[in-house]
Amino acid sequence: MIVSGQILAIERANIDTDQIIPARHLTRLDDSGMGEHCFEGLTGGAALLASRPNAKILVTGENFGCGSSREHAAWALVQRGFRAVIAPSFARIFEENAYNNGLVPIKLPQAVVDALAKTDRIEIDVAAETLRPLDGATIAFTLDPLRKAFILGGGYLPFLASKLHAVRAWEAAR
Amino acid sequence: MAQRSLFAKLWDAHVVEELPGGNALVFMDLVVAHEITTPPGALAIEKQFDDKLYDPKRIVAMIDHVAPAKDGATALQAQTVRVWAKRHGIAFHDIGDNGICHVIVPERGYVAPGMTVCCGDSHTCTLGAFGTFSLGIGSTAQAGAMLAGCLVLQRPKVMRVNVTGRLGNGATAKDLALTVIATIGFRGGTGHVLEYTGEAIEALTMEQRMTLCNMAIEAGATTGLIAADATTAAYLAQTPLAPAGWRAERADPDATYDAEVTIDASRIRPMVSWGTNPGECAPVDGVVPHDAPAASLAYMDLRPGQVLAEVAMDQAFIGSCTNARISDLRAAAEVFRGRRVSIPTIVTPGSQAVRRQAEREGLHDIFQDAGALWTHSSCGPCLGMSMGVLAPGMRCISSSNRNFPGRMGDGGRVHLAAPAVVAASAILGRIASPAELTREAVLA
Repeated sequence: MIVSGQILAIERANIDTDQIIPARHLTRLDDSGMGEHCFEGLTGGAALLASRPNAKILVTGENFGCGSSREHAAWALVQRGFRAVIAPSFARIFEENAYNNGLVPIKLPQAVVDALAKTDRIEIDVAAETLRPLDGATIAFTLDPLRKAFILGGGYLPFLASKLHAVRAWEAAR
Repeated sequence: MAQRSLFAKLWDAHVVEELPGGNALVFMDLVVAHEITTPPGALAIEKQFDDKLYDPKRIVAMIDHVAPAKDGATALQAQTVRVWAKRHGIAFHDIGDNGICHVIVPERGYVAPGMTVCCGDSHTCTLGAFGTFSLGIGSTAQAGAMLAGCLVLQRPKVMRVNVTGRLGNGATAKDLALTVIATIGFRGGTGHVLEYTGEAIEALTMEQRMTLCNMAIEAGATTGLIAADATTAAYLAQTPLAPAGWRAERADPDATYDAEVTIDASRIRPMVSWGTNPGECAPVDGVVPHDAPAASLAYMDLRPGQVLAEVAMDQAFIGSCTNARISDLRAAAEVFRGRRVSIPTIVTPGSQAVRRQAEREGLHDIFQDAGALWTHSSCGPCLGMSMGVLAPGMRCISSSNRNFPGRMGDGGRVHLAAPAVVAASAILGRIASPAELTREAVLA
């Protein structure tokens, strides 16, 4: 799986899920309708998105996605066209939500992220766990091998469903 | 066997299967489901998996965030959970019997030490106060737990937070929670469970322990955790469900931890946040730090060195899953008694059961005599959804848990504090400690 496209750099730490999608939009029954509200709670968010309307890769600061567990944050990013987020670190729940929605969470050291924020386009080979900025050197990263398979394969819920009998057997023997 | 932490014992007892990459399939004894984050997963199971749940008896559902519904969309969310719960025979708390899930689940006795609990809500860490491994997750992960009884989790590391001495000087569990976050950092707990130990923790009531564990997520931690003891047993015995048969696990005496931090409770004073995350806080009688980040101060319209007691408020809010239990309302009422608020003030109990108890004790009269609005239970303005949302530039002192930009309403500014500090600030119209009011009374 190759993710290739323009980047949007938002070089701020601690962008929480309230900034990615404010709670007033958490009123739908399914995951739809989130993209138009992406970064509505981020100061200057609309202007940043407008500056790179076709961006596919978000390059941002540490602790991205902290705060609320709302999966709506991952849905908003995906529906706005993002396929990967590159940051020094992610909040746990956001990182899980990203994997469960095909949004590739890539952790790299701050200095590497800083350099990538100055680039224009990046090509990511998800299976090979490498990325390369246009005219730049290849950089390796590491994904969670199981959750990477959720992105490349059948997804989280089918995996859980495949474990149902094992879980029932475990509980019966508990 | 190696000496194990309490968390390690809970984890080991629930691992169904080890998975690649340090992951495990971890059994969930209880799934808590509310109207905001449950419908997407419930509908996905209905469409893709024949509506089959692993075990409806391991689910408890309630109307929690917006009670009653504020518009058609939130009514549809509530109705979806209502119909779904009834169809599956899931225990359900509708409006009238509602409350914030992190208040209802313990007060009714759904939780017992040794359990694992998950919910599509980040403050599920609250239940760690009962010696449970309880954590917030996304809607898809919650759906997985409802479908197959498990979560896929990376095994977290364990940070021991040893709190020595005793809380004094008017400091509360909220002030301890803010101090922990300020000490280890807003993201200092990421990838870790915070296992709280020490004399100060053992001395806390269950409601205080819940306040402390509630804010573990605000340090990025997977959850907070406190070993069950006689205090836990006494609390659970008086709940309607009165869970029995549980065994209190403790960490082994020589358990090893991935990280350790020690905090002296006796040095903690009442705190208030000045910035845009809960770790950006200082003593109420202090100043905005000189090294405070410019971005935080720009959003909050404060300057380095500014005296916090001079910062004027536009609104006060006592509520949320952090500080809206009966002891929180009692602490606020003690400050309000015989006084008047000088700014709009909202008091929102954490559950309808808390509301009824407060009314039995006459606390609602104290709040209303003081000029505060006494509401039914809801998450309310804590997350900017209803019942007291801020306008841009408005400043609110709040007993809730998040002071993120826009959290309580676009452009709104939030200062976090304990209920008594919120009450004192509501009376004086600025950041204030209850001690100031006591001094005034003595001088008068």
